[in-house]
Amino acid sequence: MRKEHLSVKHLIMYYRTMRGEVRAVDDVSFSLLKGETVALIGESGCGKSSLAKAIIRLMPRNVSIYKGIILFNGINLMDLDEEEFRRKIRWSKITYVPQAALNSLNPVIKVGEQMIEPLTIIYKMGKREALEKAAEALRRVGIDESFIDRYPFELSGGMKQRIIIATALLTNPELIILDEPTSSLDTLTQANIMNILKSIKRETGLSMIFITHDISLSSELADKVAVMYAGQIVEFDTAERFYSNPKHPYSQKLMDSVPTLRTNKKLDFIPGSPPSLLNPPKGCRFAERCQFAFNNCAEDPPAIYLDGDFYVKCWLYMRK
Amino acid sequence: MLPRIIKYGLKRIIILFITVVIAVYITIWIANIGGYVDEIVKSDILLQVSQSVRQNPAYRGLNETQITKIINEIYENELKKIGFDKPFIYRSLIYLKDAITLSLGRALFLSSDSGSKSVRIIILERLPNTVLLFTTTQLILFFIGLFFGLFLSRRYGSFLDRLSVLLAPLSSLPGWFYGIFLILIFASFLRLLPYGGMVDAPPPADKLAYALSVLKHMTLPVLSWLIAYSFINVYVRRTFFLMFSSEDYVEFAKAKGLPDSIIQRRYILRPTLPPIITDFSLTLIGSWMGAIITERVFNWPGVGSLFYMASVMFDTPVLVGLVVIYAYLLAATVFVLEFVYAILDPRIRAGVT
Repeated sequence: MRKEHLSVKHLIMYYRTMRGEVRAVDDVSFSLLKGETVALIGESGCGKSSLAKAIIRLMPRNVSIYKGIILFNGINLMDLDEEEFRRKIRWSKITYVPQAALNSLNPVIKVGEQMIEPLTIIYKMGKREALEKAAEALRRVGIDESFIDRYPFELSGGMKQRIIIATALLTNPELIILDEPTSSLDTLTQANIMNILKSIKRETGLSMIFITHDISLSSELADKVAVMYAGQIVEFDTAERFYSNPKHPYSQKLMDSVPTLRTNKKLDFIPGSPPSLLNPPKGCRFAERCQFAFNNCAEDPPAIYLDGDFYVKCWLYMRK
Repeated sequence: MLPRIIKYGLKRIIILFITVVIAVYITIWIANIGGYVDEIVKSDILLQVSQSVRQNPAYRGLNETQITKIINEIYENELKKIGFDKPFIYRSLIYLKDAITLSLGRALFLSSDSGSKSVRIIILERLPNTVLLFTTTQLILFFIGLFFGLFLSRRYGSFLDRLSVLLAPLSSLPGWFYGIFLILIFASFLRLLPYGGMVDAPPPADKLAYALSVLKHMTLPVLSWLIAYSFINVYVRRTFFLMFSSEDYVEFAKAKGLPDSIIQRRYILRPTLPPIITDFSLTLIGSWMGAIITERVFNWPGVGSLFYMASVMFDTPVLVGLVVIYAYLLAATVFVLEFVYAILDPRIRAGVT
């Protein structure tokens, strides 16, 4: 059996705001093996990006609670202090492609210089050697190496996104977290980037956390799927089972909303809107919009394990 | 490429020169109160002439009409001598030409410590004193603001950060106000430091002793400005850096595992250099004008108190001289800054070349 690579257990991250506590990541657990890709699916504002930031520890200043266990190669990352985390984990082991890739490059520094910083600063590599590696990484994502000497304002959105991905591959990390890497791009560029990601996955055996709100896109890469709703993972399952047979009522509704080319199905949507993370309801957070809601739903459903680590947070699956 | 830069530079020089000419011409009108200063000067001369004629024993035997005639003759000659026989509008243009060509002429009433009436000498005599005091102070303030601002912006919400926010309102009172209190405490009560002036009287002959004496006299004015403006400077810079710290590329730099020192230098300071350098250079040339009240409070013989005396005495050549020097400095700074921006920011460079 393959080794467990990353295992997140009961991760909690709350923000303190003027209006109260925002429960962005509320008791979240999932895991992945080496070389696997987990697709993290959810609507905007459900806490997907917060979860990504909690893993790479890029929290905004107003975090009030941050606890749980993040086992990476068997080491609990929560035990590392800031400096250790920076030197041992960030970019050398775990890289992160942020959602705002278009603004993630410093406007006054050349692209190449920004790409090689982790190599020259963390690994103390020589500048020439690092630039050669950067050129190679650019070619791999389909960008001409001459762009090393360009400034970010001379590049298109798709190029910036690919440069960020190239930067994330430069240090041969073990895990890459992709936060909606294609969300602000046109479909052609989107397809291009998905193909790049697929070839990376095939060739490098890198583990990935692929965050998206696009279910059809997620199916391209995912080995496992985690569905997030209102700060919680409500279903965690293998891709195979999830795409053919989603269990949680929310997942089912999500799947029903995806258009398909061949079958002639009526697209469904979910009435209402997700609850505020400021004061989430006591019981099941989806109950209000759920067609199967019954008495039990007034209480928070436990994670009901189906098989190994896979679970669904729904009373419907409670064995009698 | 190059001819375009030269063309651009020339265009900027012409525009800046026109701006300076307009500014100086307006100053000439304002300093002369639209020509009213002429009347004051004329009546002053008339008074002097008539007094000297009437007191002159040589004219004692003459009757009133003859005396008036002589007075008028001498008066007209005096006016001709200083060029006041022509109308103001005509003379304002001559003033403008002189000012623009930096032939600053002679002061009407003021004179330098060495007794010269040349406006250039009067100003040059004061300038080093002001530069010594205010440029030093502004430099200290600038770097305090920069370093502590950057430091605190990375420690948002810490005790020191909250303390600096709390102390920022100290700047609601001007530097000279704290100066008065400092004089009370350190000069009149503790008798540690001098009340004012620039050097002990008589000035020490030894160079080192002279420098120490000047330093001693500088302490209180510098301190008063530091008390008044340090915290607001730090506060403004901290807020400025805080805004730019939340840029996505700063977060990405952090994700890349870069140490904080590099993030500060390359990702916060570097992209914000253009406005910081603008601030820096404008503060620097602004400091060459001195500070009117602070110089009065500390009896510092600088450009500020010269400005004050020239305004009170309607000494227009001195006022115009001060303004024209400042206008030229400002224009030159703005001109240089445009190219500095282009060097610092590739986006601006793309627009220039």
